[in-house]
Amino acid sequence: MAVPLRFSTPAPSSRLEEIIPGSDRIEELSDSSGEYEDMGTATVEEQAHIAYLNSVRIPITDSLETATSRMDDKTAEIILPFLEGNPDGFTLNTFGIPKLQRESHAGALEAFLGDYPARVAFMDASRPWIVYWALQSLTALGIDISAYQKRVAHTFSLAQHPDGGFGGGYGQLPHLACTYAAILSLAMAGGTETYETINRKTLWHFLGRMKQADGGFTMCPGGEEDIRGAFCAVVILSLTNLPLELPPDAPARKRGLTSFTDGLGEWISKCQSWDGGISAAPGNEAHGAYAFCGLGCLAILGPPKETLPKYLNVPILINWLSSRQCSPEGGYNGRTNKLVDGCYSHWVGGCWSIVEAATTTGLWNRTALARYILSACQDEEAGLRDKPGKNSDAYHTCYNLAGLSAAQHQYKYDENVNKGLGTGNLGAAYHWKTEGVYDGKNNVWDEGDVVKTIHPVFVIPYMSVYEMRKYFEEKEGF
Amino acid sequence: MPKFYHDDEAWADIAPLPQDDGGLHPLAAISYSDEYSEAMGYLRAVMAKNEYSDRVLGLTEHIISMNPAHYTVWLYRANTISEIGRPLQDEIAWLNPTALKHMKNYQIWHHRHTIIDALGSADGEAEFISSMLEKDSKNYHVWSYRQWLVKRFDLFDKPEELEWTHSMIESDVRNNSAWNHRYYIVVGGREGKLSVELAKQEIGYTQAAIRKAPQNQSPWNYILGILRAAELPKSTLKDFTCEFADVQRPEEVYSSHALDILADIYAEEENSKENAAKALELLATKYDPIRANYWNYRKGLLDQPNIAA
Repeated sequence: MAVPLRFSTPAPSSRLEEIIPGSDRIEELSDSSGEYEDMGTATVEEQAHIAYLNSVRIPITDSLETATSRMDDKTAEIILPFLEGNPDGFTLNTFGIPKLQRESHAGALEAFLGDYPARVAFMDASRPWIVYWALQSLTALGIDISAYQKRVAHTFSLAQHPDGGFGGGYGQLPHLACTYAAILSLAMAGGTETYETINRKTLWHFLGRMKQADGGFTMCPGGEEDIRGAFCAVVILSLTNLPLELPPDAPARKRGLTSFTDGLGEWISKCQSWDGGISAAPGNEAHGAYAFCGLGCLAILGPPKETLPKYLNVPILINWLSSRQCSPEGGYNGRTNKLVDGCYSHWVGGCWSIVEAATTTGLWNRTALARYILSACQDEEAGLRDKPGKNSDAYHTCYNLAGLSAAQHQYKYDENVNKGLGTGNLGAAYHWKTEGVYDGKNNVWDEGDVVKTIHPVFVIPYMSVYEMRKYFEEKEGF
Repeated sequence: MPKFYHDDEAWADIAPLPQDDGGLHPLAAISYSDEYSEAMGYLRAVMAKNEYSDRVLGLTEHIISMNPAHYTVWLYRANTISEIGRPLQDEIAWLNPTALKHMKNYQIWHHRHTIIDALGSADGEAEFISSMLEKDSKNYHVWSYRQWLVKRFDLFDKPEELEWTHSMIESDVRNNSAWNHRYYIVVGGREGKLSVELAKQEIGYTQAAIRKAPQNQSPWNYILGILRAAELPKSTLKDFTCEFADVQRPEEVYSSHALDILADIYAEEENSKENAAKALELLATKYDPIRANYWNYRKGLLDQPNIAA
């Protein structure tokens, strides 16, 4: 079977791999193959990176060319120079990997929260997302966001709809994604006055209108039903500690449902696809972002050890999640045979804490992910991105940093943590803790590259999670 | 040319509701153009009085042209269409070029879904979808919409549906979206268990696809899905899988996915745990080392009873 080389550097033949030990192999290749000119000029650090990439590469490539393989090859050609060397000339850490460029990212994030020109009117319904992504990224970098507190509260009070829930801005209809971003942003901003801007009574009614007879949730009135709706709804219900019973005017009541959680686990179950992943809705293709939504939802419905095996085939889920890690890039893709993208650092990378809480630790390759984020996803100017050649933005900055946090910190579920909190409805997710920074083989980050801890289910700082829930647990009535 | 309403006689009876950002400066504020700002002011005004009319239809079209991701406008447009009884075919004709321009937009697809559902006919939709997939063959919204169509119009047994799916797999055997659609029409979207006879047909089909490119994971996953649906053991695939990997000849492995399945097949056999461990070791050390932790985890499970996936 023909095995054409896919990448910019050669995969050593299996025979060569046997004969020559890894450290000598680079020299051997650079001596013998003149077509790889850059090998001769590689620095010691670059040689080490190239040797590493060869050591994690799948040594099998099919000869059949299709649109997918052509796109893969083209993309690898663009990405690999960033994993092999340092084309943007970043300052390097002690592992020869670009340092986390804290100052430039912070600058970009401040700008994301600022004013936008008229030509980006297409973002008018997504402003809550931008605020959430930027605030979450700032906290991940350890930057104090208290200066934004009042403006966060004000921004979302304008977007709150009189009938409940939050829209993209003033006068827009309520939407679960906007409401999710709003609640998380308000939790990060913190403080009684901020919390009290939320009209929980109308919010409860809005969520009631989104609940569907089949157990899932629609995103907005008359809108699509998918697993984002289920995840957003339980995040909101849990953080604001709303009653689990459906409001009297919820249409699903006419179909015999009485609780927000009725049929929900079963609905998530139907979203697990034939290959083990989780899709937007039953029958659709498995996808990394929807996998996180499904797992996050189950981790709020109960302890992962109970809810994951109850509603999912866990062994095939793990196989699918594991397959998302691209070789040799180390980053994740979102679907089988799709391209690596920095945002899946969180959407897939973030699934592992929840899966490991249901099984055992040490299932995935944390350092390969961190290597992809630090080497390939930092924009030369500022912010983080999908991959080299793409622009950085608030979305990719947020989810690359969240993925980096998942790789660097060990998040553990422990029911003995916070025993006084989350005793009521949807309280399982308040029992997570951090068990230190991961320190394993092939580490690629220095202390200065470590981002802050992030709650593995709510994807905001732990303190923001606890304080908001505690406030609403102690509050009587709406 | 920008379009304005304040000097348009047809809108003289409406007082626009400007955006109220009162007090502090909001975060991530957009300095709207006068045109966008004014159109949104008129939209808020007509929404406040629940007006559904032809002029509202025109207004929503105008705003969508400036911001196609504006779910509020789409939802109000859908209500307007239903209230004024706009011919649904006209709406679809208007929608087609808009959809081609903005393929990764949730709202457009949901709108189409709403309109086609009300229309009660899927005529022309297959052709439209094909033209969309020519531009982006793995577009998630397009494929999800196709699955909805199959269910809504019960196209499971329509031969053209399977033939079209086959042609999509033919043109790129690595298109996982096409494999997902095949699974949906063969078993996923239907009630009841997959018959052994049909499962065997699917296995034959998939084996041919695997032979074209054995390192392609989609058909391997597909074949496992079929086995699970028909409640057949993985050992059904043993001979086939051994064509691509043999733990006794570790130099001649043509598919890491074959090794993965072989490990499970051996694990389920009496006295073959050693071979299962060997397959997993080959994956961890040589054929798929980035997932070494996962393969080692699977190896650890061999010592525990009942490890079948």
